[in-house]
Amino acid sequence: MTLTSQRQPGADAQPQPAPASPGSGRFGAGAFPWVMSGAVALSVCGASLSLNGVLRGWAWFLPVLTTVVVVSLAMALLRTFRAAPVLVAAGGLVSLAFILTFTFFRRDSFAGFLPSQATLDALGRHLRRASETVLAESSPVAPNAGIVLVTCAALGLVVILVDALALPLGMPATSGLGLLAVLVVPAMIKPQSVGWLGFVVTAAGYLVILACSQWFAPDARTEADTARNPGQIRRAALTGAVTLVVTLLLQLVVPGFDQGTFPQGSRLNPWGTATGLNPMISLGNSLRTPTGEGRITYATNATTPLYLRSVTVDRFDGESWSPDDRNASRRAGTGRMDAGHEILAPEQTRQVTVVNTGDFTSPYLPVPYAPESVNGLTGRWSWDPATLSIKGTDTNSRDQQYLVQSSVPKLTTELLDASSAPVQGVPEEFIRPPSNVPDIVRTTAESVAANSRTAYAKAMAIQRFLRGPDFTYSLESPVQGGYDGNGLSVLADFLTQKSGYCIHFASAMAVMARLEGIPSRIAVGYAPGRQTGATVSVAGQGALPEFEVDARDAHAWPELYFQGLGWVPFEPTPSRGVVPPYAQDSSTSGGASTNDQNNDGLVPSNGATAPSSTAPAPLPLPGGGTADAGNQLAPALYTAAGVLLLVLLAASPRLVRGGIRARRLRGTGTGRNRLAEPPLVWSELQDLATDYGVRPEPSETPRTFSARLRGSPAMRLRAESTPAGPDSANPPDTAIGPDTGSGHRPDAETDRAVTVLTDAYERHQYGRPAAQDGTRRGLPEETAVEHIGQVRRALRRNAGIIGRLRADWLPRSVLVRWGSVAGWPFRVLRRAALGTGHGASVLWRRTRSGLRRLREG
Amino acid sequence: MEPHRRITIDEALPGGQGFTGSAARNVNPLNGHKTVPLEAPAFRAASERILSAINTVIDGKAEAAKLALTVLLAQGHLLLEDVPGVGKTLLAKTLARTIDCSVSRIQFTPDLLPSDVTGVSIYNQSSRQFEFRPGAVFANIVIGDEINRASAKTQSALLECMEEHQVTVDGHSYKLGEPFMVVATQNPIEMEGTYPLPEAQRDRFMARISMGYPDKDSEIEMLETHQATSPLARIKAVVTAADVAAMIATVQQVFVSEAVKEYTVAVGRATRDSAMLRLGASPRSLLQLLRAAKATAALDGRDFVLPDDVVAVAEAVLAHRIILDRKAASTGETPQGVIRSVLARIPVSQEMTDTANAGRTSPELRHTH
Repeated sequence: MTLTSQRQPGADAQPQPAPASPGSGRFGAGAFPWVMSGAVALSVCGASLSLNGVLRGWAWFLPVLTTVVVVSLAMALLRTFRAAPVLVAAGGLVSLAFILTFTFFRRDSFAGFLPSQATLDALGRHLRRASETVLAESSPVAPNAGIVLVTCAALGLVVILVDALALPLGMPATSGLGLLAVLVVPAMIKPQSVGWLGFVVTAAGYLVILACSQWFAPDARTEADTARNPGQIRRAALTGAVTLVVTLLLQLVVPGFDQGTFPQGSRLNPWGTATGLNPMISLGNSLRTPTGEGRITYATNATTPLYLRSVTVDRFDGESWSPDDRNASRRAGTGRMDAGHEILAPEQTRQVTVVNTGDFTSPYLPVPYAPESVNGLTGRWSWDPATLSIKGTDTNSRDQQYLVQSSVPKLTTELLDASSAPVQGVPEEFIRPPSNVPDIVRTTAESVAANSRTAYAKAMAIQRFLRGPDFTYSLESPVQGGYDGNGLSVLADFLTQKSGYCIHFASAMAVMARLEGIPSRIAVGYAPGRQTGATVSVAGQGALPEFEVDARDAHAWPELYFQGLGWVPFEPTPSRGVVPPYAQDSSTSGGASTNDQNNDGLVPSNGATAPSSTAPAPLPLPGGGTADAGNQLAPALYTAAGVLLLVLLAASPRLVRGGIRARRLRGTGTGRNRLAEPPLVWSELQDLATDYGVRPEPSETPRTFSARLRGSPAMRLRAESTPAGPDSANPPDTAIGPDTGSGHRPDAETDRAVTVLTDAYERHQYGRPAAQDGTRRGLPEETAVEHIGQVRRALRRNAGIIGRLRADWLPRSVLVRWGSVAGWPFRVLRRAALGTGHGASVLWRRTRSGLRRLREG
Repeated sequence: MEPHRRITIDEALPGGQGFTGSAARNVNPLNGHKTVPLEAPAFRAASERILSAINTVIDGKAEAAKLALTVLLAQGHLLLEDVPGVGKTLLAKTLARTIDCSVSRIQFTPDLLPSDVTGVSIYNQSSRQFEFRPGAVFANIVIGDEINRASAKTQSALLECMEEHQVTVDGHSYKLGEPFMVVATQNPIEMEGTYPLPEAQRDRFMARISMGYPDKDSEIEMLETHQATSPLARIKAVVTAADVAAMIATVQQVFVSEAVKEYTVAVGRATRDSAMLRLGASPRSLLQLLRAAKATAALDGRDFVLPDDVVAVAEAVLAHRIILDRKAASTGETPQGVIRSVLARIPVSQEMTDTANAGRTSPELRHTH
């Protein structure tokens, strides 16, 4: 039987020569494809385990498991039937399409698994859903069908990628990249990173892949034939230990592992630039972006600074907060909106605002509170009576221009103070205090509001407390302190550390207000922006001043409900936004001026200085220096990544060349009997010669080429008399005959190497086939490696520095191959054109002779 | 030295076995035993003996000698074409002498009759029967000197013998001995009163060799060594006819791979498609080309044919069969040149060497080979 079957577990562990077995049949691939596919499936499934925490719960795991297993099995099956590598990959893709259709679109397809037009429609819906989820929700996201579909598809592709890297491309070590691509997602999104379970299973699967590759198709370059060789194991252990130590030391030395480009708690947005205002978590990221993305311009006739509000968060239970879509209570159309509760304020201000969202992308529409009508929108939009958030049903806020009419009651301290009536007509979820509130939150709320009677007084007390000198505004300290994000536990940390940014202040006030019996919610949107200097003319209003906001102005603030006055925004965040007059403390008159100062501070942010470093400037922090370092690190990191990419690109011909060489020289069989394929070794010899300027001609027989190579000065020893130096006098490809270049003499060792390789190739190519001959065809792997190495050394010795560099980095053999691939369409076109021309000329000749014959006859 | 009769019937043919026509191809006509192919070392030793024997006589013509031996082992016939006095006949005779077999020589003249070549039936008065008197062609090696001097009728009498290895006289077929080889010489200069070989007949010669003038050293040496005695006197047979038969059997067993067959056909097709040729290589010529290539491979010590073997004999085998286009001939092109340019154009099977490019079998599946 075949080699594979001898290598079954439990079989004799000694490597044995593989007898030639022409009768082993065409299904003789043995267990190898199955073991390998199993390893790939195991590692990818292991990597997907770490996605728990990015996706909520475990319900998503079953579809992922079936997808991965089905794709792996399909590829293993194809490989058993010895399909070409390209076919195997194609089969993997087809099986992926089938299993995805079967899992997600069973009803919208032919026969349950064949995709149809309906499937594509459903796919579009699912993808939209997934993109919405990614834009709107923070991790862990609910595993809805869209997200799970995307996850399954991505993991299926990873399976194909890992498989392709490990088998046909022969780079099993590189297959870890595919697994890494999966692990990167939780590593960047989850605060607790990958998690030990996922990592352990992934690593185990990866090791199995490596073991399988080493077992069934060992690398030609390692001396030891199997991993059981003790030398190999010692080397492996040493390498592993060094890596471990370096990794441990490196993270201590290099700053910015918990900040910088991808601080913990960030998330990846595969749907383009994340300019959308994502509630909660990404708020911190938006604020931290050094460049202002998602620029929105608006023009308004409002006299007070205008907050643009896009969504509210009202549920404070659970681990993470997210906006409630309230899809059930939403109403379509934005022509007329009404908050539903009575406003008893004596005077209401009507405002007209024209908003241009630019590339700000979010399902929610930024509008000033409280909108009464929005006109000029494209797409279908709906609004929620309870929160007045406006959400697109089939569209998003990108490139929208619309006119908002809003009204705010003219509030005064007296009015608010007078509003003492019990709250009515507000949904329960705005009133109910969260369960499991941490003690510190509760005690703080009690102590802060202890002396206050009215709701307004309590609210003011809380705001005063948060704006007090104890609290500092900082974008960085939550990240350093590990409470960047949201949730009740984060709130507790915030109250302990007394340092954070708007979301922390806003949620602290909202939660404490609820504990004190005031209905509250958190509004997310933009703080008032800067004037651009331009004006926009609006019908009926004349020219209105234009303002702009971008990601750096992202903001969150609490809204508290007062009976008869509606939802009233407060501003507990120091140094951000503008405290409304009704919420200003009569005792502390400095509030407004502080804010003015901060707005001034924001204005030069368009200049060259890094805005994030100027924003917290009025309140110097102990960690400010590190924060700056982190911000300056980001461009450096991008530059480094760019340089790395360029280096990789530049090295790619070299990488390709090295890969091709390793693959060609890799023998099959066991131990000392490992045989390399002579045609592949021959190709390697030809390519090697090509790299150093001796290009094989198509009309050359192997023997002729071999003789020419041996005779070329590129291969021959220099006579001692000729001084060593770049041989510009002897361009390698012009000199052919053995007698050219009088300063050269033959190099017996290299000649022998070339001759041996040539003989092996000729015998393989033109000799009797193996079956008749009885002996196994092939060249012992060691011999092949050694001889090719000898030829390479000889060629390198004779090439100049430039020649060597060129052969290493821009090998002609690879470039020629790429060129021929790139030129393929042109060749086809040329052939077609020639064929057409020929056909036309033949036709014309025939017609002409026919006509002549007609005339004569 | 054996005197060369104008028509020699060699007495070495025993028992008329050569005439019976009953001998199978691989039965040695000399002893009736089955011919056993030689092992590689024996083959090499025999071929080296022959070549070195020839080279002692003819100086500086190793290539021509090797080609002549190639043709013998490939069971073909040889046409030696060159100006007088460069050793055409000497080469033919030397080759014949190195082998212990029957040799006959025909000096072609315009009055030579076909029956002189093939043989004739004569009425025997005493037995009152027609008896067949074998002609000059009944020998292992037949040297036909100045073949273009004979009439077309006589020339064509040789045709059947060369192609079929048999003679038909009065309705009877007589098998010729094995090995059988015709070495004809032809003088391209003195063309008056000659009958140039027609294409059909030229096609029956496996190869045509031009001897060419020897180089200076060889010529000096020749002047020295050949003054006193005829060099032929020194030659003794170094192999037997049976040896040659065994060598031929060895050559027949040389393996020809698909790739080489394809290459050979590609060469043939390219000559037919060439704009410079009026007549390209015939299928028979390709067959002969491959047979000559097999003999070359065997002489090189291989049991399989390389494209190099085809290339090595292509000029000698093909050049005398193709006919140049008038335009090409007027520009000074030669058939040899055309063959060379054709060979320089045809790719030698490249599809296997490019496997790294195209989809090759993945490494994990190759271990079951």
